[in-house]
Amino acid sequence: MMNRAIQVCGLKKSYDSNIVLNGLDFEIEKGETFALLGVNGAGKTTALECIEGLKKYDSGTITVNGKMGIQLQSSSLPAHIKPMEAVRLFAKWNRAKIDFTMLNALGIQEIEKKQYIQLSTGQKRRLHLALALIGNPDIIFLDEPTAGLDTLSRVSLHEQIRKRRSQGKTIVLASHDMAEVENLCDRIAILNNGNIAFCGTATELTDEIGEKYFIHIKTRQGNSTFETDNIEDTLVLLLNDLKQKEIHILDIKVDRGTLEQHFIEIARSKTE
Amino acid sequence: MNGFFYGVALQWKLDIRSKSLFVTCYIVPLIFFLLMGGIFTSVMPEMGSTLIQSMIVMSVSMGAFIGLPPSLIETYASDIKKAYKANGVPICLGLVTMFLSAYVHLMITCVVIVLLAPILFKATLPAQLPFFFLALAIYIIVSLSIGSVLGLTIKNQAKLTMIAQLVFLPSIMLSGIMFPIELLPDFLETIGQIFPASWGYRLMLDNGFCLENLWYLIFIFFTAVMVCGIILKKQKAK
Repeated sequence: MMNRAIQVCGLKKSYDSNIVLNGLDFEIEKGETFALLGVNGAGKTTALECIEGLKKYDSGTITVNGKMGIQLQSSSLPAHIKPMEAVRLFAKWNRAKIDFTMLNALGIQEIEKKQYIQLSTGQKRRLHLALALIGNPDIIFLDEPTAGLDTLSRVSLHEQIRKRRSQGKTIVLASHDMAEVENLCDRIAILNNGNIAFCGTATELTDEIGEKYFIHIKTRQGNSTFETDNIEDTLVLLLNDLKQKEIHILDIKVDRGTLEQHFIEIARSKTE
Repeated sequence: MNGFFYGVALQWKLDIRSKSLFVTCYIVPLIFFLLMGGIFTSVMPEMGSTLIQSMIVMSVSMGAFIGLPPSLIETYASDIKKAYKANGVPICLGLVTMFLSAYVHLMITCVVIVLLAPILFKATLPAQLPFFFLALAIYIIVSLSIGSVLGLTIKNQAKLTMIAQLVFLPSIMLSGIMFPIELLPDFLETIGQIFPASWGYRLMLDNGFCLENLWYLIFIFFTAVMVCGIILKKQKAK
């Protein structure tokens, strides 16, 4: 238990007759970056809030070893508060000194004159991350930290998360962004219908669902998407085919599929 | 403790920035005071002896029943309350800071009325100022405790506007501040007694500071504290 930051056993939570968490079991090691993945309504936020102590659960046990820092979701501060006022308030509550280097890195001082209601989504998320980091916590909880952010804000936030990781902090994040999770996390748990459908590393997930890519091609004739497990061969074939037919390519994009697509794969493999 | 005082001071600033409390604690009561003070004392010069108490009952009722509850709804009917839990701070802290901040706002308005009324309208100052201010402090606390119950029990602003008026209007119309309570039909006089305004008004009048006028306010305050405690306990349990 000494090396475990968090241990969750048989966690159950329901709202009236709607079962949201149906007996979750997982452990998170100290210094690990762990992701809870799931589509909207999968129970990620509920699971996080139960662990954080923000929500009561019906049954099960949760053990947390270390001081927690919680990045709250947007709309969890008064509309007219200014960022530095929130920082000072949280610092006083946590009896912590303000880390101006961290605030600078997150660009909080640039927005100090604005009120919370005037901040963009990205600025709000940066502020909430700063507030979560104020007490120098051992375990940092991040709920969809980069949802709705532009690329620059996303990169800057990822840098901050990596920095905390290199300091040996345990990071638990809920997300529905596969790429983000692959980039940042050591292990992933996928929530589906209140259960953990998968728990392991990104490589283990790839092994489970197989190599899968989606090629999106935009031409004057329209858009087409091709699914493949051999990206090089399929791309060559497609490009040759289009060249032969003298079809001009306007745009081409390759991705590894959305989380929903992976879910379908995982769910299919579980039922087969 | 440092965090607590910073929280109260910050809340005080936030109240000024959020126009609703600023308007209901300062702008409307003071405009009402300037207008009605002139009208009352020119139509019925004898009202000069109770003008300060009348205007204070109106100002405190407006600030407490219409000004405070929206701030409480903003916190307790939203995710803002999670900020307290996430930082290991008691969930009642929001209520306490908002209560104290609103108390300071209302006291400032009342002091302005006490200072301006004799100059502008030749109103009579209360004979025993220490008892008057003690009665005023008690009345503000009791009114804010009712405002707190409204803010914690009602979950949306539209409903609040309606219910707050159901408390505010009878407090003003049936408390005796606009016209003598003896002129009202008996049943309206009885209804008027339900609201703390008539008790607070009598408590602030010269020689009015006695247990006969005080017991009901104490009863209302402790009932409101109990209701707030139960609501916050329920919220915490969720």
